Amino acid sequence: MRAQQYDDADEQIQKILRERAASLAQAESEEQAVETRGLLLFLVGDETYAVDVEHVREIVNGFTVTRIPCVPSHVLGVINVRGEIVSVVDLAAVLGSASSRTLEQEESSGIIVRFDEVTAMLVVDEIGDIIDVPTASIEPPLSSLDRAHAEMVSGSVYQDGRLIAIVNLGRILQPVGESA
Amino acid sequence: MVEFDRSAFIQKFQEEATEYLQRLNEGVITLEGDPKNRELIDQMLRDAHTLKGSSRMVGLLDISDIAHRLEDIMVKIRDGEMQFDPSMSDSFFEALDAIVFLKDNAGKDVSEQIDVPSLLDRLAAVASGSPSEVSQVPPSAEPQPAPSAAAAPAPHESQARQTSEPEPAAAAPGPQQAPAQPAVEEKLQTRTQQTVRIRTEQVDRLLNLVSEVVISQIKAEQHARDLRVAQALANDLYQAWRRVNASLAFDVQHVGAASDDLGVIDEMVTELKNRMTHMLKEYSDEVSRASTVVADLQEHSMAIRMLPVSTVFNAFPRAVRDLARQFKKEVDLVIEGGDTELDKKVLEEINDPLIHIMRNAVDHGIEPVEKRRELGKPEKGTIRLAARQEGDHIVIEISDDGAGIDPAAVKAAAVRKGYITESEAKSMSDREATYLIFEAGFSTSPIITEISGRGVGMDVVREFIVDKLKGSLDVESRPGEGTTFRLTIPLTLAIIRALLVRVSGQVFAIPTASIEETLRIDPAEVIKAEGREVIRRQRRTIPLVHLRDVLGLPADEEAETRKLPVVTIGFSGHRMGFLVDAFVGEQQIVIKTLGSHLKHVDNVAGVTILGAGEVVPILNVPDLMANARRMTGKTAGTRVKPAEERGPRRVLICEDSFTTRELERSIFEAAGYVVETATDGAAGLTKLRGGLQVDAVVTDVQMPNMTGFELTRAIKSDDALKDIPVIIVTSLEREEEKAEGIDAGADAYITKSVFNQDTLLDTVERLIR
Repeated sequence: MRAQQYDDADEQIQKILRERAASLAQAESEEQAVETRGLLLFLVGDETYAVDVEHVREIVNGFTVTRIPCVPSHVLGVINVRGEIVSVVDLAAVLGSASSRTLEQEESSGIIVRFDEVTAMLVVDEIGDIIDVPTASIEPPLSSLDRAHAEMVSGSVYQDGRLIAIVNLGRILQPVGESA
Repeated sequence: MVEFDRSAFIQKFQEEATEYLQRLNEGVITLEGDPKNRELIDQMLRDAHTLKGSSRMVGLLDISDIAHRLEDIMVKIRDGEMQFDPSMSDSFFEALDAIVFLKDNAGKDVSEQIDVPSLLDRLAAVASGSPSEVSQVPPSAEPQPAPSAAAAPAPHESQARQTSEPEPAAAAPGPQQAPAQPAVEEKLQTRTQQTVRIRTEQVDRLLNLVSEVVISQIKAEQHARDLRVAQALANDLYQAWRRVNASLAFDVQHVGAASDDLGVIDEMVTELKNRMTHMLKEYSDEVSRASTVVADLQEHSMAIRMLPVSTVFNAFPRAVRDLARQFKKEVDLVIEGGDTELDKKVLEEINDPLIHIMRNAVDHGIEPVEKRRELGKPEKGTIRLAARQEGDHIVIEISDDGAGIDPAAVKAAAVRKGYITESEAKSMSDREATYLIFEAGFSTSPIITEISGRGVGMDVVREFIVDKLKGSLDVESRPGEGTTFRLTIPLTLAIIRALLVRVSGQVFAIPTASIEETLRIDPAEVIKAEGREVIRRQRRTIPLVHLRDVLGLPADEEAETRKLPVVTIGFSGHRMGFLVDAFVGEQQIVIKTLGSHLKHVDNVAGVTILGAGEVVPILNVPDLMANARRMTGKTAGTRVKPAEERGPRRVLICEDSFTTRELERSIFEAAGYVVETATDGAAGLTKLRGGLQVDAVVTDVQMPNMTGFELTRAIKSDDALKDIPVIIVTSLEREEEKAEGIDAGADAYITKSVFNQDTLLDTVERLIR
């Protein structure tokens, strides 16, 4: 696919690659071998976060959450996705964002993610673009983050003047009540 | 008994062997193309070895011998002494076919139809690496499978005839090729198996989709009803219009210019009525046709997961025999209704509870041989394991003809352990007392041994049956005659009956199996006593709790109804009334888990999806009861750690070995105990008599000055000390020594061979509670 595009619009691609290379301060010759990661961007409050595209199963708009008693506060409940029960995680609560969520709000979107056999839906405020970033450009989480927050972030990437935190699905999707 | 045993095991072997044979057959084919596949060779060797072993276990020695030869060959291949050569395949297949034949005809004399000794010789020849000899053998051996097929059941028989027919005809051109042809054909035909192995995950996914279809169907039926209403409306409109139109006809002048419009309206109304009628008919027909299909689809897809209980029961004769030997008792196991079918998931869950009950029956139920002789009972005790279907439930009964449960002993033990007070014990019926055995950690056994009594009590059984399987558990006992445990389990885990209730504006489902009754009580009936709310029902006091409080939900703002809806739940001898906001209804529900993320949630067993697609949480009865009892102040025994009530627990360790003493000390200290030690029994007793206050004594047996048995006896005969539990930890494992320990009055006996941290702590914690 990519090879074909090369043939078709070689010059243009090269130009883009050159720009990218410049922005990443990396040698142009290495550019073609650069490993990239697809990230799905989304908004929680007014901050941009990202999740690895490979873990995204589907995006859901408009859903009815059923409350489940006696669950941790970041779990809003469950939803019925074509007969499959999927838990609903309030990312705002997980990430310590000020805007705490209620079940009634309709504007939010859901990203169903699957990580390590665990499936859950992350509730976010707005779904953004999918971007490809070179794996090498992903930095460890900001050291200034408080520890609880830092745990929920697996890395960050600088993109278009924004610092985007990649959420740590392994931690966020840790099964609830497993040891019990 | 012996007869039965054998057949039960053979059946199991047949199931098991089919799997191995299939793999071996496939393995031979793969090896032909990849003769050095190390992994495959190892696996085939293991499979042959397993076949050898398990066929020997069930007495099918011919199979065992053949498998043994195959194993020999595989060993040589593995060790590089010989190489797999495609010419060996025929011998392999012949051997595998022979095993299939012998397996299918297990128990019958088939020596006429199959010549095992010569097959063994041929296999030995292969193993000894004489391929030239081997390659010549198959043609001469070819008639072998043919007669064997003739003896097989009907479908095979006709097949055999087919294969035998072309044989004479084809014999002319060349005897070498002719037999090969039908052999291939036969092999191809046997490939069309009657069963297909499917991963349970796939079945579950299918069932998931089927339940979605069921839900859609329920919705479609609802739509048909809605459509009927709309059609009736269209009909009414049409009739009304007709009347209006008729009266307008007399008044043409007034209508005048509008008459064209009236004509159009008339047509439209008529058309609407006709279309609606037509559509309703089509749609209703379609829905009712689909509903039959969907019902069938649901029934058949549920049946996919059904397996006979014998798949679990078949392991029990052996287990009971082992247990009987362990306890030095004579026990016969009688199995009935092994072909009763149950959902595979239920079957998986039911094994452990059954084992616990059996263990209990052998340990506590069946008396020792001498005792039985004294009582004039048959020396051999009998345990009956029977399954049968009753409506949409399966009933499994485990009965023994042993000593039965002595209500007085149970009450005494319960009082001693603080589950009930003396006065409660007095007012308790024998039947109620029997149910005390389901309390966590309960044991009537005078001593805790490593087999029964340790963490594997009847409470575990109860939790399995009630909590996981949404069933119920009953016990019936006649002292001196025996005990019957009755497990009532839903046919499938997927569907149960549930009561739907509304709490704080949300609907919840409660499995009906544990519900005793639903009431609407007058607020005046609620009695407030000691800060608790209770009601009286049938001369019993039932504590009341708000379900919303147990679930941590906010109170509903809506005005309270005049009559309060209450659900009473009975769970292992306790009753509790749960106040809800409203009863919604009772129906069959499909159980779903909370998903991969929410592994365990307090009070919630799962969810179900109702007809309209809404998700409803299913409540977990054991959790509800435990939490409710905690809230009403009457705590469930196990949930409260003594340390929280009365400060650190103290334990005295009497042990002459420094290493053991320090090991035990570190275990107890790590668990928050205050530890006192003594190097022998005499020193320990001196400390105790000197006023040392401890919650338990842990002692070795063989010690200088005073042995553990002597120490135990001394403690138990001292009025000031006799309530202190004594736990003997020893390397003496013989029954006589254990008996001496019991005799001395020890409360638990742990042998060092099974000794570990948890055993020791669990035992002590249970005793000092």
